Amino acid sequence: MALVKNKQIIQDSWHHLTAEQTSLANTIVSLDYWQQNKQALILSKQPFGLKVSGDLPAESFSEALEHVSLIAIEFPVFSDGRGYSLAKTLRDKYRFTKEIRAIGDVLPDQAFYLSRVGFDSLELKSDLSAKLAIEKLADFSVYYQKDSVSQ
Amino acid sequence: MYLYNELDQTLVNERVEQYRDQTKRFLNGELTEEQFRPLRLMNGLYIQTHAPMLRINIPYGLLSSKQLRMLAQISRQYDKDYVHFTTRQNVQFNWPALEQVPDILADLASVQMHSIQSSGNCIRNITSDPLAGVCADEIEDPRPYCEIIRQWSTLHPEFSYLPRKFKIAISGSPQDRAVTQVHDIGLHMKKDTDGNIGFEVLVGGGLGRTPVIGQTIADFIAEADILSYLDAILRTYNRYGRRDNKYKARIKILVRETGLEAFKAQVDAEWKNSKGGELTLDTAAIERVKAFFIAPNYSVSDDIQLNSDLEKSGAFRQWFKQNTREHKQTGYRVVSLSLKSPHRPPGDVTFDQLQLIANLADQYNLGQARSTHDQNLAFTDVKTEDLFSLWQQLNEHQLATANIGTITDMICCPGLDFCSLANASSIDIAEGITETFTDSAIETGSLKLKMSGCMNGCGHHSIGEIGILGVDKKGEQWYQLTLGGSDTHETKLGERLGRAIAKDDVISTVKDIVNTYKQHRNDDEKFATTFKRIGIQPFKDKVYGTR
Repeated sequence: MALVKNKQIIQDSWHHLTAEQTSLANTIVSLDYWQQNKQALILSKQPFGLKVSGDLPAESFSEALEHVSLIAIEFPVFSDGRGYSLAKTLRDKYRFTKEIRAIGDVLPDQAFYLSRVGFDSLELKSDLSAKLAIEKLADFSVYYQKDSVSQ
Repeated sequence: MYLYNELDQTLVNERVEQYRDQTKRFLNGELTEEQFRPLRLMNGLYIQTHAPMLRINIPYGLLSSKQLRMLAQISRQYDKDYVHFTTRQNVQFNWPALEQVPDILADLASVQMHSIQSSGNCIRNITSDPLAGVCADEIEDPRPYCEIIRQWSTLHPEFSYLPRKFKIAISGSPQDRAVTQVHDIGLHMKKDTDGNIGFEVLVGGGLGRTPVIGQTIADFIAEADILSYLDAILRTYNRYGRRDNKYKARIKILVRETGLEAFKAQVDAEWKNSKGGELTLDTAAIERVKAFFIAPNYSVSDDIQLNSDLEKSGAFRQWFKQNTREHKQTGYRVVSLSLKSPHRPPGDVTFDQLQLIANLADQYNLGQARSTHDQNLAFTDVKTEDLFSLWQQLNEHQLATANIGTITDMICCPGLDFCSLANASSIDIAEGITETFTDSAIETGSLKLKMSGCMNGCGHHSIGEIGILGVDKKGEQWYQLTLGGSDTHETKLGERLGRAIAKDDVISTVKDIVNTYKQHRNDDEKFATTFKRIGIQPFKDKVYGTR
């Protein structure tokens, strides 16, 4: 895995929740985990992230938005475009300004569109893919639509 | 017509380079076929039976003579000296080499053309009335709005991985010449009681396996709000459209399964957030685009020369009657260039013909031509005094077959000869029909025949007055006929005639249908009227009674 943010490959300061962990700081938890441990997560005052599937409606987890520092939207397959609309909705309708990360089946050729609907970090399969994704972010110097509001 | 500014040109140029890189990586093995597939499709490249097929957009059917010459040149340099015009006003090359496509796209970019989103699960070419701007019944010229929607939908970051393809058509006249009712979204230009411009919005129409007539989702959306409203429909579709079965993924299925009212409520809820926001069109933005579509300075002209030309030649008279139409300006006519001659498959145009059409466009039609949904071309601004000499030159090049609107002016998909989806051939059936009816087409009258080689319905068979659908039965080609469909402002799906017909019997069956119509028609009654009056039974009796 390699993470692209601000047009560079960076060290990931976040990790997905594992069974052994003791502190929840910078942990990305599942929707189930959030729903079962809301109070604990909020009271811990530690930054945490939420992983959601791209096919979820934003309404189903909107109550978490004020508490989370990161939303990771998972693409089950690269051709499933629901995650794009979800990110756009989080940015435009819910005015979510923190990090939105694309995870799952994310291809370098999608980096440009993903960045424009509001994703600010992309998890790619390898360093090679990540490098290519950075190149692909510069495919176009112009476009017709306005970007997502928080960009 | 619209001319690219620096932004438009840069975008198309950068797209060529992007695709060049994608092609290179595919050929190097860095992209799998599965990963490359949506990328090439979003650039109009299919892999067909014999070779790739490249589909080029002709935005709402407008072409300049320069662009026509480039299409000709590409057909010579990279293909087999001909092109094929489609029912969505686009043009297809049937024999390009995959590795040469980036060069073809670069050539196209040099004349402000591209293949962006001409296929794939994204918003396709915006189509419209080929008579936009020149027909007398127009409420408002749809072309500026087509262009605005074209720009908004091009390389759309959010709507490029939709559940399935998405087609939008706009009509500016009550007489729908853009089959808007069988589009994912159909827009009808309207004016409210205060004269404000807007759109009636239809949603969920489509042909293919499950043909559906679009339903009105909004009676009037003001022009300022049209993009935010389209955005709301697309987002609702992108979120909720089915992705588990590609045959149920079009918006028509979503609308049907959700119910129009519930779907409308979802769209309205979405629209509530975006209405009045960044997608709102201000008057200046609309006027800027409208400036490209101002009517030319028509000269004051009369029909004196035309009337004397009409006296001279019966063949010219016949062509004039069949292939030209009224223009809003006295002294001008709209001319159809029939691409349905007996000499080649429907919609095909050769290199030589393209060159000639480009020259004639410069000479007689302000340097422009248009493509139509029924796979013909049109010159929309011809002085009546020029008609005779235009006809002579078209005639020499097999572009003046006097058959517009008749049975030989049929819509036909490429069928089994080219398409990997097809179950049956359509081009040879078209040939047979043309051969049989060429001499009697005019006398047979207005009769729209549409034919598809499979149930995907590219040949619009479902809305043909006579519809022919190729089906596969245990490896044999059979044909299912339907009657009484309509592609007009009152779009209708045809009724099934009965059991499928063997390939060898298709032509004689069509003859039986035509003869039954002729036998029952009153005076010069149209097929649609006769069919409505007598119903399908007499046709069934004739066709199946003898078999």
